Amino acid sequence: MPIDAEKEITRLWRALHGAQDEIGKTFYRWRQVALEFAGPGAKPLDVGLRAAEIFGKEIGKSLLPRQNWLKGEEAFLMNLGRCLADIWGVEGGIAAAEKGMAGEVLIRCTRDPWPSWAKEYGAPMEEVALCRERMFQTILEDVSAFFNIRLRIELQKAIARGQGETVMRLYKVA
Amino acid sequence: MARRLYEWDYSTHPGAKRYPHLFTPIQIGNLTVPNRIKYAATEDNLNSHEGFVTDAGVAYMRKRAEGVVGGLCFMQGVYLDKARQGQGYVGQAACWDDKFIPGLKRIADAIHAERAVAGFQLMDCGRVGAVEVDYCHGPSAVPQRLRIFKPVQEMTKADVQAVVRQHIDAARRGVAAGFDMVEISGIVGYLISNFISSYTNRRQDEYGGDIRGRMRMVVEIIQGVKQACGPDIPVGIRLCSEELLDDVRGNTPAESMETYRIAEQAGADYISCTLGWQESIYPVISRDIPMGNWIHLAKRAKQHVRIPIQMAYRLFKPDLPNAKIGAGELDMWEMCRSMIADPLMPKKVLEGRENEIRHCVACNLCLARLFRDAPMTCYINPVCAHESNPEFTDPKPAQDKKRIMIVGAGPAGLECAYMAARRGHEVHVYDRRKTIGGTLNEARNAPYGDDELWTCVGFQQAMCAKHGVEFHLGAEVSEQLIQDELPDTVVLATGPVYPKLTVPGGDHPKVVYLLDVMSGRVPVGQNVVVYGNRKPGIGCALHLAKQGKKVTLVGRERSAGFDVNPSFKWRYLIYMRQAGINAYSDSTIEEVNEGGIIVKTYDGYRWPVNCDTVIVSEREANASLKQAVQSEGIELFVIGDALVPRNLSSAVHDGYRIGMRV
Repeated sequence: MPIDAEKEITRLWRALHGAQDEIGKTFYRWRQVALEFAGPGAKPLDVGLRAAEIFGKEIGKSLLPRQNWLKGEEAFLMNLGRCLADIWGVEGGIAAAEKGMAGEVLIRCTRDPWPSWAKEYGAPMEEVALCRERMFQTILEDVSAFFNIRLRIELQKAIARGQGETVMRLYKVA
Repeated sequence: MARRLYEWDYSTHPGAKRYPHLFTPIQIGNLTVPNRIKYAATEDNLNSHEGFVTDAGVAYMRKRAEGVVGGLCFMQGVYLDKARQGQGYVGQAACWDDKFIPGLKRIADAIHAERAVAGFQLMDCGRVGAVEVDYCHGPSAVPQRLRIFKPVQEMTKADVQAVVRQHIDAARRGVAAGFDMVEISGIVGYLISNFISSYTNRRQDEYGGDIRGRMRMVVEIIQGVKQACGPDIPVGIRLCSEELLDDVRGNTPAESMETYRIAEQAGADYISCTLGWQESIYPVISRDIPMGNWIHLAKRAKQHVRIPIQMAYRLFKPDLPNAKIGAGELDMWEMCRSMIADPLMPKKVLEGRENEIRHCVACNLCLARLFRDAPMTCYINPVCAHESNPEFTDPKPAQDKKRIMIVGAGPAGLECAYMAARRGHEVHVYDRRKTIGGTLNEARNAPYGDDELWTCVGFQQAMCAKHGVEFHLGAEVSEQLIQDELPDTVVLATGPVYPKLTVPGGDHPKVVYLLDVMSGRVPVGQNVVVYGNRKPGIGCALHLAKQGKKVTLVGRERSAGFDVNPSFKWRYLIYMRQAGINAYSDSTIEEVNEGGIIVKTYDGYRWPVNCDTVIVSEREANASLKQAVQSEGIELFVIGDALVPRNLSSAVHDGYRIGMRV
């Protein structure tokens, strides 16, 4: 049976985006569960940030085997930046790492579906950027401890509604 | 004058003439060891979960003690703390209390019963420990690189001092149990290596800092253990000569050699030279590493210290260690896996029975089992970990002598043949090929050390000759032959069948079969699809990729190498990636056409893959002759890939067990 390439690609594309959609929606469904259990006194942002920490801790573990100090500091930082951008990509964003000034890598996200999901589930869209930053910071805690260096990541620019671009600066503290 | 525990005279043995350096004595501390052979401490998971020695563990050790023919025989490393943070294996022996001494004494006695030197190893597993508790301990809380290990808690100074005390107390218990030598384990990521390495020791106190600071705990342990054991008990240590942790800024080789000098100064009587960590990204002992690859590290170690240097690591045959000892580049030949595969290996060397050695194939199944909390087993040795069961070690002679026809001279058939013949049966092995070995004839052509698999056939051939198995090679077994011969029992070890590809285009001339390709009987194009993502398919894919061909691997298993143990599978995956092999798992071939094939995933996605050759490596059980045998009312066994296509290990284990039972 001949291949109908358009049909096959369309099916794959839909399945991929459906899966990405579920990642975001599942996060906000669980956020809702956590808030209900935490009671009326809980601050939603604190719950979101704590979730980001737990995600970061978990993801950080899988990142460690993929880093290699032997490639030199610049290549190490770029590889790490690419890994962080890839995490964003898996979750539906379009992100890439690029060389910044000396000793820094910029992670630039030009499309991010998370603010839309946040809006759909009644979460403040500003929380998205803060959670992303917290998640990456937590990942870097383990990477820093593992390689005995101090890495930082800072949110430089964020447009809450997911338009424009979000930029984060990854660098090594001397 | 150094004491000698047992007198051994090797002069009349052929092995002592062929390998004279292996069978000359050596002085270690105040003890003279009659030869240069050591069974190195190896975890086996055969003890109770509380750390008590079991019958299985004692029998396992006694067999290895028999094998070293008077040399060193070390029991597995014991963990030392009641909190079990230092316990790295669920069945690891313990020694944190005097209550363990009687069990340990059973092992020392078993080793002595074979007139070998009994070694006792102290092993806190550090950051690879805590197998039964939530946190392991280490000099610094450096995150784990591998998910299977527990989070690390940084030890306080009091914790460090407690660990030193635990080593000393355990050493005293080992001596009380009757051991003749004590060894401290400082390798592969265990606690002592954690303290030594700049990767895992970030402490700023006196137990951290430069290499002398990082060795401080080791020095305290060596000195304390020496004092507790007294002058008659040599104390050695296993230390990394190279950590292979450059990518995470571990110790340099120069620092490692400094640790050797410090250990010698602290009073160590010998050093066992090791390398690599479990967290290292470099392979050290798998089959793809050539034998003798690391022996230069022993020579380098000897240039830095005067005490004896021992070493294992891909030294499976006696010629190289014999030569290196003769050249002064090594002092003792250590073995772990080669004596798991054949516990009597050095004894057979001594007795001139090298052709009867069942060689380790460096698959690391033994390690994979230990890391997954399973008792030790061996890919190639069906008796391993069954030493306490006489049915395995010494199968009874058959009460009714039978005429047995074994169809197939592959590893399953050969294993069954010699075992059945050993028990007194009259055994005839038939094979339509003119050579023995079955599909291993082709499988051994796969790269990265698969030629070593053939050692299994060499062993089986020698055992068949020893026990009088009759071969009928080049003889196709037919229904008529079975009726003519009318044996009492038929064992079908015919290997698998490679079924026709039953998809549109499956009969296209570009479709060929695995054995034809691996034997070079059919030409293969430049752009190849291998169908079947188990070990045979991977071996074929790598074989062709090494010839510069573009290879795509398509298979029904969820991941390529599903049937390869995890301690070896990672090697294959890396080689596949390096060779640019595209792997489509969870997929089948839906169609073969002029341009190539159409791949279909389990969930229905389809795409074309261009190729000029399709190689089928998928296998099925072989039911041929079964009906013919059963219709004659003859006792029937089906073994190996003929029963269920699996691997060499299953063939050998099937063959041995049916040989025991028939």
